[in-house]
Amino acid sequence: MKARVAVLVFPGTNSEEETRDLLVDCGADARIVHWSEAASLAYYDAFVLPGGFAYEDRIRAGAIAAHDAMLDAVIEGAQAGKFVMGICNGAQILLEAGLAPGTGEIRRPTAAFTHNAQGHFICERVLLRRTVAATRCAIAAALPEHLLIPAWAAHAQGRLAAAPAHLDELERDGFIVFRYADAAGATDAHLAPQGSAHGAAALTNREGNVLAIMPHPERDAWNFNHLDRREGSDPLAPSGGSVLFKSFVTALERM
Amino acid sequence: MERAFAVELKIPDNEAYTAMRALQRLGVAVARVQRADILIFSGDESDERLGASIERDERLFNPNKHRLESLSAVHPRAGEVWIEAIDAPRSIPMRRLVGWRLYDHAGKPLGSDDLDAACARLLCNSAIERAIR
Repeated sequence: MKARVAVLVFPGTNSEEETRDLLVDCGADARIVHWSEAASLAYYDAFVLPGGFAYEDRIRAGAIAAHDAMLDAVIEGAQAGKFVMGICNGAQILLEAGLAPGTGEIRRPTAAFTHNAQGHFICERVLLRRTVAATRCAIAAALPEHLLIPAWAAHAQGRLAAAPAHLDELERDGFIVFRYADAAGATDAHLAPQGSAHGAAALTNREGNVLAIMPHPERDAWNFNHLDRREGSDPLAPSGGSVLFKSFVTALERM
Repeated sequence: MERAFAVELKIPDNEAYTAMRALQRLGVAVARVQRADILIFSGDESDERLGASIERDERLFNPNKHRLESLSAVHPRAGEVWIEAIDAPRSIPMRRLVGWRLYDHAGKPLGSDDLDAACARLLCNSAIERAIR
């Protein structure tokens, strides 16, 4: 049986269809679930929070959605070991909900993906490299070592920020799953296009079943939107961002 | 010398309404929320010149949407909290904060305990922001 994945939609979410489609193309039974359908979430094996501007980013990006009834089910599921992935605004929501990095109380955030250092929206193609051991985050575990994953950084608030001591803790204990990299695989902090602390592009939690990733892998995933597109009958680009989604589905199938 | 101004919507403020409803769901006894951009200037410019500068800057003020108030003090009023990004740029002579004024069901400014709860549970992410009371 295919893994059942709920793609959550809040008012203002705008990347749900491509996120659902990529999960389906990677082998999942993925369905879109709207905010009024929170009661149905217990049925699902995993949750994906796509990009957009949930609740119009009112108060702070992700702040209102983190208190939505849908997050009650996501939090309960994450605590029970279900996989949760948030992309861009979904990542911001997971940090506001305290699920990533998950070192504090639920809904008492210890970090945030906040305003870019340059003070405005950026949209650029980036490369990501996993910089922790494969065992650290189950969602990214199936990725080959040193693989560079293309994605699109498309955000005004993608800079990881927290108290310096907490950032050191995140670094030391392997919470920073992906960092921005150059084509040679180097991961210097200055490669983060928005000044993200420690060059961080994605965080996990202590248990490794939650992934909050700022850039969009689904926007460079199929051959039609992959910059390094090649001929072939497979709609998915072998070197595209779909590799992360495949890893996510593989992890679900192994559960 | 510092001077503070509040730029507040004179049209319905959907964000303030959303904040009120979210706070109510979190158990905070709030009945009305007002939101404003709080602009704090350093220097010797007069209120009149600063106010005119704000009203000319389309990034800060739209006369069709906003009203401008010169505040009598550079600190929040009763029932009010100002939220400021911890790493907000300080190289420019203006600080920009978000002011939240919360009122209870009797129309009075919210008490200190409820205001603390509102900050801790929603209005302030203490990892990146400070709440000024």
